[in-house]
Amino acid sequence: MIMEEDSVEKYGLDSHCTMMLEEYREHRESFAKILEISTTCIKNLLSQNGIFVTAVEGRVKEEKSLVGKLELKGHKYRTLSDITDIVGTRVITFYTDDVDKVAGLCENSFDIDWDNSVDKRKMHQLDSFGYMSLHYVCRIPKSMYFDQAHPEINTTRFELQLRTTLQHMWANMNHDCGYKGDVEIPIEHLRNMNRLAGVLELADDEFSRIRTAVNDYRRQVQGLVANGKFSEVPLNVDTFRSYLNMKPFDKLNRRIAAINQAEIHDATLMPYLRIFKYLGFKSLGDIEDLKKQSSDDAYQLATLEIGGTDLDIISATIAVQDLCIVHILKSGGGEDGLTAFFEELSGESAYNRTRARRLIEKTARLPFMNTKK
Amino acid sequence: MNVTINQEGNKFNVILEGRLDTTNADQFQKDIEPLMNGDKPEISLDCTAMEYTSSQGLRMFLMLQKSVNSRGGSMVMVGMNPQVKEVFDITGFSNIIKII
Repeated sequence: MIMEEDSVEKYGLDSHCTMMLEEYREHRESFAKILEISTTCIKNLLSQNGIFVTAVEGRVKEEKSLVGKLELKGHKYRTLSDITDIVGTRVITFYTDDVDKVAGLCENSFDIDWDNSVDKRKMHQLDSFGYMSLHYVCRIPKSMYFDQAHPEINTTRFELQLRTTLQHMWANMNHDCGYKGDVEIPIEHLRNMNRLAGVLELADDEFSRIRTAVNDYRRQVQGLVANGKFSEVPLNVDTFRSYLNMKPFDKLNRRIAAINQAEIHDATLMPYLRIFKYLGFKSLGDIEDLKKQSSDDAYQLATLEIGGTDLDIISATIAVQDLCIVHILKSGGGEDGLTAFFEELSGESAYNRTRARRLIEKTARLPFMNTKK
Repeated sequence: MNVTINQEGNKFNVILEGRLDTTNADQFQKDIEPLMNGDKPEISLDCTAMEYTSSQGLRMFLMLQKSVNSRGGSMVMVGMNPQVKEVFDITGFSNIIKII
């Protein structure tokens, strides 16, 4: 059963506003379409440009809310098309500079009504703080979507708000605290709310500054790694990940695999960051030095271990594992050092000492264990 | 290789007995099929009575581990004898499969 909608007359609006409300009902599906097109477009733009945001949200103004607006200031609008926020979309970003990036993308995608768009971030006086948001009034260009039966989809304006998460939080809390009409809020509370806007503006700027500094540092380190200046690169999650992208242990893995014509099963080496730190390595240069000084010894160890077997699959962790074992043995770590290494690598187990003892016995005759220091 | 699977909900206690090599790897793959379905399985492979594993056995355990990971579950091998454990150690597989 189709429910008949209530007559617009029930609101008791004047004839001008009643006509606008009828037009609103007539075009409700087009408003929903505009919302769908705009939010889909924005999500695609963000994805294509690798911009992560808190949210892309939107709504078509509810009839009740429109009636309220018409009751208050219906006389200001000549036609429904003068009301630009019937469809509203909002992008909430993490960083202030992302607001500008998203704005630039939207400028290139939607037709912007510049006369009615406003950057509220720039409207504050030197000594005032408060609502910060970029508001664009837009239209869907025909190049993006066109339906001959619904030309209003291209002529109807919609509002696009761009703000940071902190600006969004402030706007919501300010709305909650300040705009409820039942009581007048004392001025000191409103002043406190605006003071908070200043703090959040500072925090937003600081988040952006930190991100820029971190990105600069990443680029600098990646440059050092790419140029082989390993001794200048401290060992940490970012630098080790960049280093691993260069496949530094592949050569030794391939050499070890060739012993038994084995296949190499790919595996992450990131857990070895913790191990290298445990072994006291401070920079990527320390790992490179280990490779230079001990790759042949690690190969000897691997030959001793798998050479006499028919094992034809190895993990990509084998080279780095054997390098660490050789490092501990050559440094005089002995059974205790190896046991502690295995505990660090795989957790506590009674087998770790057995494994260490077995390795000490097996490697006793290898050249690197018999080199006079 | 004998495989006995005891299941309680998503928890599987699997008892492995004997040798796992190329001659029985296909049968082993069929035997562990019940472990290859279902969300978030928690699998414990009891290796106390496992005597030997070849490269083919390692591949089987890897396949099972990958399947378990893709379903958000966990897999652990327990009670391995030193000879079997050595195979995992010298190939680097004890770095990628949880053994306790």
